Amino acid sequence: MHPARGSWRTDHQLWIEAFAVFNFGGLAADIFLAHSQNRFRHEAEYVPLYFSIAATIALAAVVPLRRSRPAVWRDVGYLIAWLAVAVGLAGVIFHLDSRFFYDRTIRSLTYAAPFAAPLAYTGLGLLLMANRMVAPDTPEWPRWVVFLALGGFVGNFIFSLTDHAQNGFFNPLEWLPVASSACAIGFLLVVLEARIDQAFLRLCAVVLLVQGLVGAVGFALHAEADLRQPGATLFERILSGAPPMAPLLFPNLVALGLIGLWVLAPHVREHADVVERPGRDGGEQRPRAD
Amino acid sequence: MAFRPVFIAVVLAFGLIVAAFLVNRARPRVETDQPTAALVRASGKCAECHLQQQYSVVHEYELSAHAGKGVNCLDCHQPAASQQKTDHHGFVIAAKLTAGNCRSCHEPIYQEFLRSRHAATSWAAVFGEEGLKPEQVEFSERYQPGGARRPAHPLTKLEGGSATTSGCAQCHSVGKPNDDGTIGTCTACHTRHTSSVAIARLPTTCGQCHLGPDHSQLEIYEESKHGVMFHAQEKLLKLDAPPKSLTTRDMFVPTCATCHMSGLNGQKVTHDPSDRLSYYLADPITKPRPNRDRAQAAMKQICVQCHTPPLIERVYADAERVVVSTNEKVQVAGEIMAGLRKDGVLTSAPFTQPIDFVYFDLWHYDGRTSKHGAFMGGADFVQWHGNYPMLARTVELKAKGEALRRQHASRPR
Repeated sequence: MHPARGSWRTDHQLWIEAFAVFNFGGLAADIFLAHSQNRFRHEAEYVPLYFSIAATIALAAVVPLRRSRPAVWRDVGYLIAWLAVAVGLAGVIFHLDSRFFYDRTIRSLTYAAPFAAPLAYTGLGLLLMANRMVAPDTPEWPRWVVFLALGGFVGNFIFSLTDHAQNGFFNPLEWLPVASSACAIGFLLVVLEARIDQAFLRLCAVVLLVQGLVGAVGFALHAEADLRQPGATLFERILSGAPPMAPLLFPNLVALGLIGLWVLAPHVREHADVVERPGRDGGEQRPRAD
Repeated sequence: MAFRPVFIAVVLAFGLIVAAFLVNRARPRVETDQPTAALVRASGKCAECHLQQQYSVVHEYELSAHAGKGVNCLDCHQPAASQQKTDHHGFVIAAKLTAGNCRSCHEPIYQEFLRSRHAATSWAAVFGEEGLKPEQVEFSERYQPGGARRPAHPLTKLEGGSATTSGCAQCHSVGKPNDDGTIGTCTACHTRHTSSVAIARLPTTCGQCHLGPDHSQLEIYEESKHGVMFHAQEKLLKLDAPPKSLTTRDMFVPTCATCHMSGLNGQKVTHDPSDRLSYYLADPITKPRPNRDRAQAAMKQICVQCHTPPLIERVYADAERVVVSTNEKVQVAGEIMAGLRKDGVLTSAPFTQPIDFVYFDLWHYDGRTSKHGAFMGGADFVQWHGNYPMLARTVELKAKGEALRRQHASRPR
C-alpha cells in the first residue's frame, strides 16, 4: 500500500508510524523496569528489551524512507510487525507460566506476571501491519486504528483490574482506571459496531480525553506512592512500588484513539446516525436513512 | 446525537464495571480483608517470586494450617518489637524470625516455653550465661534451678568454635537469646514454613536432638513397643489433630509429644516438655525434681489413658530402682575421681586425662542411657547400652585410677 501524500500534519499514516516508534521506545524502558524487578531471571526476559530497542531504531530509520523507498519502509515494517506479534504472544504464555498454569485461581491470575502486558507488542505489530495493508484514505483504516485502540483499552481494563486487585483495591480510587477504561471500551466498541454521527464521535473524543486525565492522575498517585514506598534507592522503590509508567498507557491510547476518530470523522455523517461502511466490493456502502 | 449508540456504550461500560466488581468479590475474603494494603499484597505477591526461587518454601507454607487460616507471609515476617527491619521489594520485613514473631499470636505458649528447659537452660548448658540477660537468667532459675546460672561447658573451649557452632549450637540454639530480647525459636520443632503440629509430634522431630549416646531417647523409643507400633500404624494416626482436643482416638499410639506435651483426652497441653517429668535423669546423680509428685501424677494421668494403673505403677517402680542402682554406680565412680583429686593424683584441668573421659562417658552416656531406657521401655538400652558399659567403664576407671596412683607414688618428691 503506497503511503499517503500531503502535509505531515494531516498525514495520519505518518502519525501512526510515529506512534509505533514512540511506543517501542517506551516499551524498552518499561520492560527494563518490569523485568529488573525480576532481575532478568530468565534469559528470555531480555528478548523484549532487545527487540524494543532494535524495533525503535529500525522503524525510526525506515519511516523517513516512506516516500523515497516505500518497499524498504513496507518490508522492514512487516518484519518488525510480525516479530512484535510473536514477541507479544510468546510473552503472554511466559507470563502466565509464572504461576497461572500451575494454579489456575483468581489469586494466581492476580499475582502472576501481568499476562496482558505483552499484548502491547502484538497490538503494535498489528498496527504496523494495518498501516501498510489498509488504504489510508478508506474508512477501513481508521476503523482498524480505533479497533486497536479499543484493544489497548481492554488491556488497560484487565491491567488496572488485576494490578489493583493485588492491593485488594485498598484505596477506592484504584477503581477509577477500571471504571474509566470500561467507559472507553464501551464507547469505542460502539464506534466500530453501531451507526453513529459526528456528535457521538465528539462525545467519544471527550470520553478519551477523560482517560488522559485519569492517566495523569494515576501517574501522580503512583509516583507519590513510590516516594513513600520502602526501599534504599528511588530506583528500588519504583521497581517494587506502583509501576509509574502504567497509567501513562491511558494518554498513550488516547492519542491512538483520537487519530482513529480524527480520520474516521469525514466518513461519518454530520447528523444522521449512519456510518458509511465499506461494501463487499471494497467500495463504500450507501448510507442507510432510518 | 442519536440515543442508541450512547445507550449501548453506557450499558457496555456499566456491564464491564459490574463484572470487575463481581470478579473481585469472588476472591476469598481472607485475602482482601486485611488491615493494610501490604498485607493484602503479601497474600499473593510473595509467593509469585518465591515460587520461582524457593518453591518448597511456598509449597510448605501452602500445606500449613497458617495458610488455611489466612495467615500470610507478612503476618509472620512483619518486624516485631526490637527486630531489625529490612526493606524487601516494597515490603518492610524481618528476615530472621524468632519466638518474638510467633508470640504475637501465641503468647501463652511462648510463656510455657520460657519456663521450660528448652529455653535459657538449653542454651546455658553449652554457653553458660553468655548472651543471656540477667533478668532472663533470673526468670529461668525460678523454674529450672541451676539450669541457667552456670559457666560454659568446658568442652566448648577444648573442641573449638567450629565444633560448637556446627555441633552443640545446632540443638542448644532452641533456647538461644535473640537480639529482640526473646529466647529461642519455635521453628526448631514446628519447622519454618509448615508451622506444623503434625511434624512437631513426630518422634524424629524430637530425635533431631534427643539421640546419640548422651541422650538416646529416639533410639530407645524406636526399640520400645510405642515406637514399633508407631511405625506400624503411623498412617492411621491423626498427627495433625488440634492439641487442645486431642484424644486417644486421634493418637492411639503415642509419640514423644503425646506423653510429654499433648492434652490427651482433656489433659492440659504444655510447651514445657519436662512438666510431667519427676527426676533429673540427665544429671550424674539423679535427684527428684522439686515438683516431683505433681509432675509424676500428671504423667501417670497420660499413661492411664492407654494403660491400667498396676502396669503404670510397675513401670515406675522398676524404673526408679534403675535410677537408684545407676546412682550407686555413678557414685562409686565419682568417689574414685574425687579421691584422685583429693589425694593430688589428678590435678589437671577437666578433659585433659583419659580417665576424665572414662568417667564422663560412664555417667553422661551409660548412666543416662540406662535411666532413660528404664522409663521409656528400652530394655536393650538399660542393659547393653547402659549397665554393661557402665560396669566395663567402672573396671577401666578403677584400673586407670590405680595406675595413676602408682605413677604418682613413683614420682620423685
